[in-house]
Amino acid sequence: MRILVIMGRVLDPGGIAVNRRRGRIFVNREEYVMQPADRCALEAALRIKDGLQPRGAEVVALPRSVLPDDDVLRLAVATGADRAIHLTSEGTVEADDAGIAQVLAAAAERLGGADLVLTGATTLDTGQAQLGPRLAEALGWPQILSALHVEASDGHVAVILKQGKQYVTVEADLPAVVTVLPDALKPRYPDGVRLINVYKRIGELAAAVEQWDVADLVDVEALTPLLEKRGQDFPPERERGVRVTGAPREMAQALADALRQWAPS
Amino acid sequence: MEFTFSEEQQMFRAMFRDFCAKEVAPKAEEIDHEEKPPLDILRKAANQGFLGATLPEEYFGAELDYLSYVMLIETLAGECMSTAATLATHVSLVAMSILEHGSDAQREEWLPLMAAGEMMGAFALTEPDAGSNAAALQTHATPDGDDVILDGVKTWVANGEIAGLFLVFAQGAEGIEAFVVPRDAPGLAVGYREPTLGLRGATFNTLYLEGCRVPVANRLGAPGEGWAVAQGAQDRMAVALAAAGLGVSEAAVEVGAQFASERVQFGVSIAKKQAIQSYVAGAFTEAEALRYLVYHAAWLVDQGEDLSVDAAVVKTFGAQTAHNVTNRMLQVLGGYGYMEDYPMARKYRDARALGIIGGPTELHEVRIAQRIFAEQDLEIAP
Amino acid sequence: MDFTFSPEHVALRRMIREFAENEVAPIAAEIDREGRVPFETLKMMGEMGLLGVCFPQEYGGMDAGETGYCILMEELGRVCTSTATNVGAHIGIGAMSIYLDGTEEQKQKYLTPLARGEKIAAFVLTEADAGSDAAAIRTRAVREGDSWILDGTKTFNTNGSFAEIVTVLAVTDPTLGARGGITAFIVESDTPGFEVGTHENKMGIRGSSTAELIFDGMRVPHENVLGKVGEGFVSFMKTLDMGRLTLGAACLGGAQAALDWSIEWAKTRKQFGVELAHKQSVQWMIADMATEVEALRSLVYRVAWMVDTDQPFTQLAAMCKMYGSEVASRAIDTALQIHGGLGYTRDFPIERAFRDARIAEIFEGTNEIQRIVIASNIFRQHGVRIRP
Repeated sequence: MRILVIMGRVLDPGGIAVNRRRGRIFVNREEYVMQPADRCALEAALRIKDGLQPRGAEVVALPRSVLPDDDVLRLAVATGADRAIHLTSEGTVEADDAGIAQVLAAAAERLGGADLVLTGATTLDTGQAQLGPRLAEALGWPQILSALHVEASDGHVAVILKQGKQYVTVEADLPAVVTVLPDALKPRYPDGVRLINVYKRIGELAAAVEQWDVADLVDVEALTPLLEKRGQDFPPERERGVRVTGAPREMAQALADALRQWAPS
Repeated sequence: MEFTFSEEQQMFRAMFRDFCAKEVAPKAEEIDHEEKPPLDILRKAANQGFLGATLPEEYFGAELDYLSYVMLIETLAGECMSTAATLATHVSLVAMSILEHGSDAQREEWLPLMAAGEMMGAFALTEPDAGSNAAALQTHATPDGDDVILDGVKTWVANGEIAGLFLVFAQGAEGIEAFVVPRDAPGLAVGYREPTLGLRGATFNTLYLEGCRVPVANRLGAPGEGWAVAQGAQDRMAVALAAAGLGVSEAAVEVGAQFASERVQFGVSIAKKQAIQSYVAGAFTEAEALRYLVYHAAWLVDQGEDLSVDAAVVKTFGAQTAHNVTNRMLQVLGGYGYMEDYPMARKYRDARALGIIGGPTELHEVRIAQRIFAEQDLEIAP
Repeated sequence: MDFTFSPEHVALRRMIREFAENEVAPIAAEIDREGRVPFETLKMMGEMGLLGVCFPQEYGGMDAGETGYCILMEELGRVCTSTATNVGAHIGIGAMSIYLDGTEEQKQKYLTPLARGEKIAAFVLTEADAGSDAAAIRTRAVREGDSWILDGTKTFNTNGSFAEIVTVLAVTDPTLGARGGITAFIVESDTPGFEVGTHENKMGIRGSSTAELIFDGMRVPHENVLGKVGEGFVSFMKTLDMGRLTLGAACLGGAQAALDWSIEWAKTRKQFGVELAHKQSVQWMIADMATEVEALRSLVYRVAWMVDTDQPFTQLAAMCKMYGSEVASRAIDTALQIHGGLGYTRDFPIERAFRDARIAEIFEGTNEIQRIVIASNIFRQHGVRIRP
């Protein structure tokens, strides 16, 4: 079985300060982490691979966009992916999720096909949820979105997700695309030895991360974005919470009243 | 200037040492490890008159001069700083405030009970948002006929767990007011006890005052006099805390010196090593300097002189010395200094409190600077 | 001169930091309170390969060098000194002694499971009358056929109460001293005659185990002699040098944590209507603390680089330990002062760090010994031999 995991990177939220008054986001510490939802997708893929031992499965990591460096892909290999494909391009690639979906579909074909594609259901910074569905369209495969739990074996995938207040199991024949919610699973830590070897490019992992030129996969000129970004602004201010004062008994009463008022019905 | 103690003072010191050796030393480790307030010791101390150490005989006090009392604190601290801190809070912060500012009726009502140990005193000044800046007090006192209603929250109330009465500071119409509040007053609740690094036998609690009703007759001094009460109490306490610092420093030097003489490494006792000699000599020197600062400040209390700068000086120097000395002597003991079945680790943890309780060092430094620059006609705000 | 970390070290630090924050930090207060060793996190670290961070991959290690090991100790020291202590004793002196002096067979048999985290190591030297004067040990090893019989009592030992593979120094020739009279042995802790005695009640690092070990007619095969008979003490000195550097790294982590906490507190806490950050006394404290941390950081990683490039480092390692422990003590003391009363209560991590940091000036060779080592090295380079 071959499982593709599509992953991206995002600025570490711990290094960012949002200053509404000055209308700016300050990047105090520029460090990138794997998109949390994508990390869960990778974990789901690795668990499927673990479950299929000793026959095994091949997990290949691909990027959500044309990334400036392959760090997050190396991290995926360190965590257990067998290979990773780093997409490069001479010029800038003007593509949104629709365009990238075309590139990834072409990459999947060049890999010789796949049985399952896993990716994060949403991105932490932009809140986008398009990549999974668009990739499923481009591949012509069924899609199951916002998974909490994924199990796969020969020819078949079963996903648990939440609908309203219920949990439901949705099944599909492979090949299929599944997107995974952030916090769905506790992701494993990378393996130290794999980490050192994939970064130092030695041993079995010397060639684990390959570089593929986007131009070899699609006609870059034809990738016009569907979305045009015109600017960004803060969401409207809203009253956050209530400040209680007074003697302890008064404060406790005010707090209890507020909680009752806001309790989800 | 006369630098010797009187015969009476020397006799007192011998008595204090005797009491400590018999009653305090055997219990010090348990008090710390089990975080138990030293109630047994306090009872015995009451029998000796220590709980009314500086109070007049008419209130069943021992009528000691402040200098002798400070020697008592010093001696107690040598064995158990928790006991010393508890006693000092009771006498310097609370009992003497009632003595200085209370009416005859108030003194007669409270002081004999305190001297007998039937009521321990606790000091309630600090609040969550008013740590060093006591002028920002939010606890308020609202008159209601013959009573006053107190509302607010106090934190770090020394002796809170064991006290029978609380000296509470609140904002009144004319400024800060001080009230004597018995533990059973309606609307008073003793809360969370701070789990501290050291002084684990002392207690520091949160105090809740919700519509706490006390008679107006419980106010110490005139309306607005509360600030002077607080300041006076803290200045006296600064001297007592410095005395505790002196006591723990002396004890630490003795423990260090004894260990160094007995510990043999590389074929000789480590006392023969120059570095160890330097540590012990340095510690001894600092403690000696502190000694005379403390006794001088105590003498100033007895003279009724203004204490504000000297209290700040002796407190900062006391805190610094206690920390430096216990730290150095811990190093002399090496690995043994780190084990809780030796007394040094406890002394180190206890001594560290002095830089924080009774006002942090930084604040005292500002007070000293204020006085120095006032002489240059320059006013400094904290 | 290139002062950047290599990509693998950057990635390694990120991985360890995440692990430290998610797995080690949340239980740091609990293991201190309960006085227990966090076996669960040691196991996780073993699975990640961290317990063999600096050893070659052929022995199950990660091959991240001494730099990688310093990064591990720094990141652990930043969140939990007890855990750093447990790991440091395992890697830095326990396993390290076997790596430096073991035969190929010994390394395959003993180092590999240690590097993989399948077993834990300890290094056993100190006795009641042999602290700084380590050569004054009296535990005796007597040859009997093809084994040695060990008898003696060791004190203040880290990890010894639960480690499976323990390197023990014993006297094999009482007529010779440190030179020729002491031998190192690899001992498996389930050997009959290996007993664990009293557990010490320490002021800090209470999430680590410090215990007495008693050897009573303990039979150790001759093939378990580590290095050459009589040369145990000299070998031990080499191991100790490595350990000193990495203890400095752990202290760096602790000092950095103190600095981070202080900055956070100064940003939020108000006194007299204004944040502490605006008080000059606090600014001075933070500036001094940050400068010392930077100086220590440069020292530690420069020495790590020297180890990784096979340059001599004894004197510098002693400086790392001495300076690191004192920087950490000063930093945490200042942090405590900045936090005031709240820093003195067990509701905040400051007081635990205060108790934990204090041991660094004492164990792994007191700072007095470090000063002797440094001064001796300096004067020897100038032709003067110093007797301690």
